[in-house]
Amino acid sequence: MILRFEPITSRCGEIVEKLMSSSDMPTGKDLRFKIRLSIEEVVENIVQYAYDQGHGWLEAETRREGDSVVIILRDAGTPFDPLAKPDPDITLPAEQRQIGGLGIYLCKQLMDSVKYTYENGCNVLTLSKRG
Amino acid sequence: MEVTIKQDGNKQDVVLNGRIDTTNADQFQRDIECLMEGDKPEICIDCSGMEYTSSQGLRMFLMLQKSVMARGGSLVLKGMQSQVKEVFDITGFSSIINIQ
Repeated sequence: MILRFEPITSRCGEIVEKLMSSSDMPTGKDLRFKIRLSIEEVVENIVQYAYDQGHGWLEAETRREGDSVVIILRDAGTPFDPLAKPDPDITLPAEQRQIGGLGIYLCKQLMDSVKYTYENGCNVLTLSKRG
Repeated sequence: MEVTIKQDGNKQDVVLNGRIDTTNADQFQRDIECLMEGDKPEICIDCSGMEYTSSQGLRMFLMLQKSVMARGGSLVLKGMQSQVKEVFDITGFSSIINIQ
């Protein structure tokens, strides 16, 4: 399934719902929770930061590969590798914890793999999860 | 997300129901703003009806924890569903917030 959203401003919730309704998605409650959360975190990032002027598109594809669901998100925004940022230090006490910066970390922890590439002028983020 | 707050002096009993996600995180922040003021607050949040939280929800819980510590108070989260608890575990929040 390939869906294209344009414009994307303030549409994160709707984009996540549409992706979760794909027949490629697993049915188990626990898996769906993890996939939904992972998708929401990366889509929110794209919606908020990919395009300087806020106007742009996002193409979202879901497909089955073996026993996994693969979710591919493409945008033509500013080149940005969300995985390049170091993981937050989750052992720090509350006083020293930074507010924010957890979304991509959660996605990396909850999915089996998350990959970023820059191809043909597009940011391409590929998430995969068995189930 | 439905937030119910019962206040009795510095004691505040909060019940959360529903989901904290990209569509309502701003509303949730406004709903809990009143918990960010007052000395030595004793805040207890019943999380048994909280079905989901994104990192935007986590951000609010961290802000609340920092605010409560700065005011010499206490914050307890109770009855958290296992999937939501896992999100708190993965992010290390289980060791900085009192979860019972």
